[in-house]
Formats: sequence, C-alpha cells, structure tokens
Amino acid sequence: MTLFLNIAVDGIAYGMILFMISVGLSITMGLMRVVNLAHGGFALLGGTFAHWLAQENGMPFWPAAVLAVLVTVIVSLPLERVIFRRIYDFGDLQQVLATIGLTFLMIASVNLWQGSSLLSIPLPDSLKQSVDLGFRTLPVHRLVVIAVGFASILGLWLLLDKTLFGIRLRAAVDNRSTASALGIDTDWIFMAAFGLGAGFAALGGILGAEILPIDAYYPVRYMVLFLIVVAVGGMGSIAGSFIAALGLGLLETATRYLVPDVSTIAFYALVIILLAMRPQGLLGRAHA
Amino acid sequence: MKQIFSVALVAAITSAVPGVALAETIKVGVIAPFSGPFAIYGKQYQQAIETYVAQNGTSAGDHEIEFIYKDVGGPNPDQSRSLAQELLIRDQVDYLAGFTFTPNAFAVAPLIEQSQTPTVIFNAATSSINSGSEFFLRTSYTLWQVTAPLAEWAYDQGMRTAVTTVTDYGPGIDAEKAFKAAFEAKGGQVLDQIRMPLSTTDFTPFIQSVREQSPDALFTFLPGGPPTFTYTKTYNENGLAAEGIKFLGTAETEEVNLQGLGDEALGLSTAYHYSGAHDSEANAAFKAKLVELFPDAVANWASVGAYDGTHLIYQMVAAAGSDGPAAVKSALGLEWESPRGPLTMDPETRTVIQNVYIREVERDADSGLLVNREKGVIATVGDLGWDQ
Amino acid sequence: MTPLMKSWAPPLALLALAIALSFLMPFNLAFLTRILIMVVLVLSLDLVLGYAGIATLGQAAMYGAGAYAAGLFAIHVWADPLAGLMIGAVAGSILAFVSGLVLMRTQGLTLIMLTIAVAAICHEIANKARDITGGADGLRGIHMEPVLGMFAFDFVGTTGFWYALAVVVVIFVFVALITRAPFGLSLRGIHESPDRMAAIGVSVYWRRVTAYTVGGAIAGVAGALSAQITQLVSLESFSFTLSAEALIMLILGGTGRLYGAVLGTLIFMFVHHWAAANDPFNWLFVIGAMVLAVVFFLPKGIISASAGLARLIKGARHAGS
Repeated sequence: MTLFLNIAVDGIAYGMILFMISVGLSITMGLMRVVNLAHGGFALLGGTFAHWLAQENGMPFWPAAVLAVLVTVIVSLPLERVIFRRIYDFGDLQQVLATIGLTFLMIASVNLWQGSSLLSIPLPDSLKQSVDLGFRTLPVHRLVVIAVGFASILGLWLLLDKTLFGIRLRAAVDNRSTASALGIDTDWIFMAAFGLGAGFAALGGILGAEILPIDAYYPVRYMVLFLIVVAVGGMGSIAGSFIAALGLGLLETATRYLVPDVSTIAFYALVIILLAMRPQGLLGRAHA
Repeated sequence: MKQIFSVALVAAITSAVPGVALAETIKVGVIAPFSGPFAIYGKQYQQAIETYVAQNGTSAGDHEIEFIYKDVGGPNPDQSRSLAQELLIRDQVDYLAGFTFTPNAFAVAPLIEQSQTPTVIFNAATSSINSGSEFFLRTSYTLWQVTAPLAEWAYDQGMRTAVTTVTDYGPGIDAEKAFKAAFEAKGGQVLDQIRMPLSTTDFTPFIQSVREQSPDALFTFLPGGPPTFTYTKTYNENGLAAEGIKFLGTAETEEVNLQGLGDEALGLSTAYHYSGAHDSEANAAFKAKLVELFPDAVANWASVGAYDGTHLIYQMVAAAGSDGPAAVKSALGLEWESPRGPLTMDPETRTVIQNVYIREVERDADSGLLVNREKGVIATVGDLGWDQ
Repeated sequence: MTPLMKSWAPPLALLALAIALSFLMPFNLAFLTRILIMVVLVLSLDLVLGYAGIATLGQAAMYGAGAYAAGLFAIHVWADPLAGLMIGAVAGSILAFVSGLVLMRTQGLTLIMLTIAVAAICHEIANKARDITGGADGLRGIHMEPVLGMFAFDFVGTTGFWYALAVVVVIFVFVALITRAPFGLSLRGIHESPDRMAAIGVSVYWRRVTAYTVGGAIAGVAGALSAQITQLVSLESFSFTLSAEALIMLILGGTGRLYGAVLGTLIFMFVHHWAAANDPFNWLFVIGAMVLAVVFFLPKGIISASAGLARLIKGARHAGS
C-alpha cells in the first residue's frame, strides 16, 4: 500500500516537473508548429539569469525567478524577429538545423559567461522544508511545482480557449494569410505566443532546477526528455502534454520502484508501444 | 615481433622528420576534454600543469619540457586514439598524459605499447586500465582504493547494515563490489544493492526504497555533475539523515561543485584521497600559486591528479629523457610529498599508494565556504582492485 | 561532357581530394580515417532521410550494433576485416529491419522519438550486458588480421586510411546505384508524395522498411569500420550525440545529394578539428554560427553553393561571349 502511495506521490510530483519544463515547448512546437530545439536554451537562459540574480547578487528567490523569466522573454522577442520569423515557413529539417545552431550559441554564451559548472539557484528556507504526509514526507518545493503546474494549465486553457488572443493565435497558425486578410496582426500574435513559450521555458527551467539542475549543457542533456513529453502528448495539444507529463512521470517512477535494474529499458519500451499504437500522441490532432 | 615493429616505426619517424635534436626538448601530449559538458576536467588539468610549471620551471634535468593540449570532447575512444596517433606521429611527443574516461585510456593502450610511450593517467579510475599496458602510470586513484577503506571505517564506527545505491555503469559497479566485499569481510551486512540507471533524473524512488529498509548507512556512487547534485538534495529532503541513515560517498562532495550543493551538503561523509582543505605546506603552496595564476580556480582531485602527474613526468624526464622504458622504470617506487599527502608509485600496480581520508562537509569559519574537513586518515593504501 | 562523365566527375574529384589530403597530411591519417568513417555513416543517413524522407535521430543504433557485432566477431570468431564488415552490415540491417517494422508506420516527431528510443534501449542493453560488451569500460581485445591477408594495420594508420577509403568508394557507388535504380526513384516519389505513390500501387510501407534496412546495413558497416580501426567499441557508439552530429553534417552539406553528405561531413569535421585545436572552450560559437549561416544563406545545404557558383561562372561566360 505504502508502495502505491509512494509511486503516486512521487510520480505526480515528477510528472508535474516534466510538465513545467515542457509546457513552453508545447506552445512553440505544439501550437506554433515550429520544430523548436532551442526550447532548452530558453530554459537555460532563465535558470542562468535566476542563478546570477539569486546566487551572485543575493536577490531573494521569488523576485529573482520572476525577473529572470521577464528577462528571458525580453531576450526571446528580438530572437523571434531575427531568426524564428524567418524559419516558420521552412521545412522541418531546416528548422531543426536553425534551432540547433541557436542552441549552440546559447550554450556557448552561458559557458563563456558562467563557465561549465553547475549553476545552483538557492531556494528560500520556506521551500526547503518538508511536509509530513503521514506515511512519509514531501519537500515543499515539489508541492509548489504541483501548484504552479495546475495554475499554468488552467491559465493557458483560459488564455487559449477563452480570450480573443487565443482565438486569433489558432486562426493565425491554421491559415496565416487568411488570418491577416481578416485584419489580424499575425506578426504581433506570433511574437507574443513565442514570448509566452520562452517565458514558460524559463519558468520550467527555474522551478525544475532541483531535479534537472542548470548548467551550460542543459539544453542538450534534457532535449530528449522535453521532446518525449510533447510527442506522447500529441502535437498541438497543451492538455495532451499535461496528461503525457503526468503519465510519463508515474510510469518512470513506477519502473524505478518496481524494476530499478531495467527501468530505462522498460520506460523506453513502453513509450515505443504507446507511440506505435497512437502515432498522433495521446491527444494529437491528425493533420496534413 | 614487437622489436621489429618498433625499429620499423623509428625508421619511419626519423626518415619523415630529419635531424632529431640531441639536446632534447621533451614534448608531453595531454589528451583531455576541453569542450563539452566535461570541459571542466581539461581546465583543471591545464591550470594544475601550469601551476606546477610556474613553481618548478620549464626544465627537468637537461631537458626542456613542453606541453601540447588536445581536446577529446568527452568519452570518445575513436577521437582519443586518433589524437594519440597525431601526437605521437606528427608532434613526436615523448609522453602522454590526461585521460578522464576509462575507454579513452584503453583506446591508446595498443599505441603506447608499440611506441613505448610512458602515459600518465590523471583521472580514469578503473583498476584494470593499468593491465592494458606496462606504460600506464596513474596519479589519481582507483575505486577500490577509496571505497574499501570507507566500508571498513563505517564498520569500525559501529555501522552494521548498509544499502548501496550506485549508478548502473562500470565505475558504479566497481564501487558497489568494493564496498560490499570490504563491509561484509568485516562482518557487516549489505541489505540491498540498488543500481540506478545512468539516465536517472529523479532519485526519490531509490531514496525512498532505502528509507523503507532503514539501514545504518547508505553508500553511493554517482558520476559527477547533475546526478550528484540532485541525489544529495534528495537524500536530505527525504529526511534520511534525521533518521540516522548515514551518507557514505567518495567523489560526491568534490570541491568544484561543492558550493553549489549548498547547506544540504553539510554533514555528508566521504572517503577520498584529496581534500582542498588538507592542512599541509605543500597543499597551501599549491593552492596559493594556483589562485595567483587563475583567480577563479578551485583545487579538486582532478587538479591534484594532474599536478602530481606533472611531477611524475618531470622526474621521469630528469632520469631518462625520452627513453620510454627507462622512464617508466625510474618512476616505479618513486616517493614524493604531494598536496594530498605522501605518495609512492607502486612498482606492481603503477597506481600511486596514498592516504585515504575520511572527511565531513563543514562550513569553514574563516572563508564562509563549504569544505571537506578531514576527520581521519587511513594511511598508505595501494590499489586494492588490482587482484579483483 | 557526356552525361556519364558529368555524373562521375564530382565523385572522382572527391576521391582525388581524399588521396591528395593523405599526402598533404601524412601525419594525420587517423583523423582523415575518422572523417571517412563518418562519411559512411552520413551516407547511410542520406539514403534514409535524404532520399526516403524517413526522419531519424537514431541512426547511431545501427552504427553501434555494427560496431559491437564486428568487434565481438573479431574477438571470438574470426578477425578478418572484410568478414567483420559483412557482420556489421548484417547486424545493422537486422536491427533496422526489426525496429523498422514498427517505426515505419509512423512519421514526423513520433518517428523521431521512436528512433531515439531504439538507440537509447540499445545503449542500455550494451551497458547492462557488461560481461559481453565490457559496459562503460568499452569492448577491448580487438586485434584485426591484415586486410585481404596482405596489408597489416600499422601504427601510422596507412592501411586503415586506404582500407576506409576503399570502403567509402564502394559504399558511395552502391548508394549512387540504388538511388538511380527504380527502387531509388520510387523512394524519391514516396518522399515527395506518398499518397500518389500509394495510388499507383506502390507499397509505401515496405519501400520505407527496405530503405531503412539498407541504410541500417550501411550504418552497420560504418560502425564495424570504427571498431576495427580503433580496436575498441564504447557505449558512445549508441549515443544521441552521434546521431545528432551525423544529422547536422548531412543537413549542412545538403540532403538528398550524395556529394552533400560527403561535403557536409568534411566541412564539419575540419571546422571541428580546427576550432577544437585553437579554442575548444568556445568552439560551439563557431559551429553554431556556421549552422545558422547555412540555414539562412544556403537553405539547400553547402552543396548548393557550388551549383550557384557554377551558374555564376556559366552566366559570366555567356555574358562574355
């Protein structure tokens, strides 16, 4: 019984971290349909700014986190104008190459600025404590990630389904020229959506740093992890990413409790079976 | 056969590059990662070598010494071998050094065997590397060398049961075996041996499994960098220390990333051959010179492995110049005082015999930084993994 | 020029370049040999991705399978190099065929993730089976017999270089023939319009499985070659990094063009070698900028630069006449 509770608690906590680090990608890659391998790069930038503000300049955690997310968004906007805007119409492979090139430049910049060692983001004491669940304890920061995760999915659902911005974004993605003919400023819409994706990437990088610590090679090290969440969730679906992240978190945690020795093989084998059965992902829309 | 080959090789080389000077400049090729996620190793090596050179000059005996650095990028035996060939053939190096990863070292074994090139390993810690060639000499340590004393010490402290959690790859398995053998030889009991996949990011499941078994001690081995960071945090957050499950490790609290671990690292106990806080004149001089040359530098086991490796090369050059077999012979049994303590080059295993220190992470009152404070010493340990 | 001469002139020029380099850089044969091995891997990727349009980030799975199979075969059965290459090809093609049965039913991001997952599983199996593979320490004890019983592998790497060059030539001709054969043309058709090919009665699925299997065999040869030359196989031969680098080299050079694969590999490896020798700490700046420049200025790959150049020269000649 304890085992099942353990798997449930740790699986959800880990799954929510997976969601937070990949939700930005399900915006840029899932909604905007640009193969964005630079997603981890924005997470890295967010984490690095947070490290610099909190560790080196002594700023408290929350203001540092918020400021780091804002700075990352501000950095992402010109990048969208200069680089991403020009590759929206390119083929997948060109997008892969362009975003890998950009990722390399981001890694090299952080490497030059902060070196290649771990960039820790000190947590406030309130987040370091543990909460007693009766049969065990759970660190507070994991509860915070769970809460922020739920808030993010709710906020994104409201934003994308209930506001004019969301409707315009979906119209612009589906048919850009028609959308602009209808008077929608698609340039602005795309830039805003991209900034949103980069901001979530940064937030995920900062909140997930306790499990996926920040260092210059972060984007390459965890690229497969982000991609797997979006692929399993299905392109174009934030809710799919959410379910996929929780499912994968539970799956990976369960294999690690039950069959630690072969857990990597078991995990990937289950992902293969799942994707072979549902090539569009859990909630993906089939599209040409 | 080998003789014929060497003669042919020497002929090939001397005909290609006429006029090898008699007043020799000895070249040392350093193969290490200078780019990518492991670039820190190359940086530590280069800083340590330059520190040694600054302290001791550029000549040993009658010879000038010159270092050539080559970037291997990471664990990449193809690249390692091809760089070694380039160094030996084009640059005509007389010594090789560096080697962070075991397969990179193994890949050059056939080459150094043929060219009779003394090769000093600064890091790679698998015992069996040195059986790959008579020309390998190691100034770092082996996993058995630090792990077995740790297990024995733990038993002497009254710990009777332990669980091991190691990363599931060669070095981790080595450490697991060494700990179990030594701990059970003393009469202790290893309750469970958990092998954690290389790709693990969330260690909570493993830590919780350990907690359920409530052993006296938790022995762990992890590759450096992110896994160590996450593992130690998870250990603390899940309250294992409070429940009296003692953390036992080796390289987990190494100095470069120690400050990043933060207060969570306080109280972690490890057995290792070098602490930056080691109290000796040699260490103080080494660290002072290092920081003078590179203000941001932090000394750790990789720097001291390279520093002692450089010392060994200087000694060999002074004794034998570019004569490889004679150089190796002169190194065997050599004794010197290193920043980590007294060292002897074991003639049999060609790995240094050294002290292993039991340390605990503390916050230094003067500097305010986290340090590995030495609490005990197990004197002059050789490579215990050689016969395994 | 006759069409035949036209199509064979560039590869002959490349061959001449390879031979010239071996004389220009006689002390760097090991490095040149590594380039040749990568060329074989990138050619396999070009067949799979460039011609058949199968998006993959897991070509290292077949490379690693070939490397371990050839290594184990040399240690336990027979150390003949050519037999080892055959074993590598067989291992690579079996893995590609079996995984391809599942993988070729999918496309796009899903397919990419599946190829990554297959390589990750292979990596973990090789790591776990350390009694057979040596695990993270690497597979040791590979000592090859002379090539064709005549040319022993030497210290400087002369035999290794010419041996690898011969393999590259054979593979290049083989891939060139495949792509010109009806099978290759149908792959192009599938790449450009799968629906139309299905409509004219072509089994898209089986063509893709076949292409993936042939590509797997070639990747297996590349792996076997590396095992024989390095005399050691490591887990890194299954690594994501290797798959990703091969992909970058291919797109850099230009997909769907054999010279593109060769040129991309050459340029990437030389730039890496040069940058890593001069400033390894910052080499990612160089490669990152190079990659971005190619995307924006030569979207069809570096190979298109030569075509553009040729047009330019031709245009100038016409203008002059």
